[in-house]
Amino acid sequence: MFLYPICLIGLLLLSCIVQQFIPSVSVWYDARVLILPLVVLCGSATISTAGMLTLAFLGGFLWDAQQVLIIEQGDEIVYHSNPDALKFGYSIILYTLMGFLMQGIRPLFQEGKWHLSAALTGVAIFLYLFVEYLLRGFIIGGFSLENGMIEQIGATSVLTMLFSPLIFWVLFRIADLCGHTISYQH
Amino acid sequence: MKPLNFFALLLFIAGLVWVFTLSESSVRNIQKLYYSSISPIISKGGETEAFANDFVKEVEHSQDLQKKLAQALSERDRFKLIASKVQDLEAENNELRSALDFKKQTEFDVIAARVIRKQPQMCGKTIEINRGAEKGLGESLCVLASNGGLVGRVHTPGDEVSSVLLITDEGSHVSVRVEGTTEVGIIVGRRTNYGEAPRLRLRYLSKNAILRKGMKVYTDGRGDLFPANIPIGTIEDFKVGPVDGEAEIIPAVDFTNLKTVFVIADSPGD
Repeated sequence: MFLYPICLIGLLLLSCIVQQFIPSVSVWYDARVLILPLVVLCGSATISTAGMLTLAFLGGFLWDAQQVLIIEQGDEIVYHSNPDALKFGYSIILYTLMGFLMQGIRPLFQEGKWHLSAALTGVAIFLYLFVEYLLRGFIIGGFSLENGMIEQIGATSVLTMLFSPLIFWVLFRIADLCGHTISYQH
Repeated sequence: MKPLNFFALLLFIAGLVWVFTLSESSVRNIQKLYYSSISPIISKGGETEAFANDFVKEVEHSQDLQKKLAQALSERDRFKLIASKVQDLEAENNELRSALDFKKQTEFDVIAARVIRKQPQMCGKTIEINRGAEKGLGESLCVLASNGGLVGRVHTPGDEVSSVLLITDEGSHVSVRVEGTTEVGIIVGRRTNYGEAPRLRLRYLSKNAILRKGMKVYTDGRGDLFPANIPIGTIEDFKVGPVDGEAEIIPAVDFTNLKTVFVIADSPGD
């Protein structure tokens, strides 16, 4: 019962390592494959709500451990405006929301329509990055909607989405090995 | 709701509360631990990224060659290729020479480091360098370029690699002065589009400041974060707002071609 979720957590940790080896595509908006969020999203479609929450928590925690910038404050007399940054842990909430999005079409996924879930990973990644971008603007106080940034987010979402069939294939293989049932028509 | 889901939800909420109530130092410790754990992987990852970029350049270069071969200029292109290689070597030589000169000339005790990865994040502007706590790097140490300009400061020192927060990040704050005036202000990064050259904003200037394009901006040493008189950039534009003035600054450092940096070994407070 717990073997598949444990393997998923192992895959999540592995994706954390693989992420370090994935370069950005300098010729296409510096887009990059976000493998760790992708594993969380694809995993969320194959697991119960309890498992999804665990996966989102671990994924968000690991992501923020690398991404969140805690900026040291200097002398308050000089640096009277605090260098605001996103709070450590915000990704956990965003990953959970994305996870619920993936769980929303889980019945279709279980019927074998995995391609819908694959497309949804692209939408979810776009929403995640877009919300993160808006949050940063809102917190730092410099709200602006730049076309270049939207294009970069779009390119990253598309590129990441293209890898979702591969992740689903890996998940199906792991599920087979663990005796875990993902699909009704499997 | 199934009992298992309810239990998981409770645990999840407890975990969220724990994460959101973590102190700044605890978060820093978590990040340091994480960074130390993946330090060797980041080094290898940086090599992969460099390899991928070289490959893309090579492909672009190959396409160029094909076009020119079709124009029956193969011999000339061969010499061009050699010349370009020589130019690359010359540029690299100059870079290393200026780095060596900088290390000899600078008044600071510096540790040279190579940039192994640029912009590893989507939003935050950071770089990763191949020096970490093993070489004496610590949090918030200042990082300079070979021309002496301010690059940023160490954000997370791992064992072998460190993450550097660039001054072009929106969250970065640097206290500065404008050369030849009494004007002081705070430099913050400016959000830029893909492909756009990095720019800085000099905020909290007085409304009646007399600033001209080309005036130089230096750190003023106040605020315990950066030593004084480190070049930041030059003024490009100055606008007066309802409360204060704000200038746009062209950075002194070429962030797109940053290869070698120097970490000041002792913090400004020491």
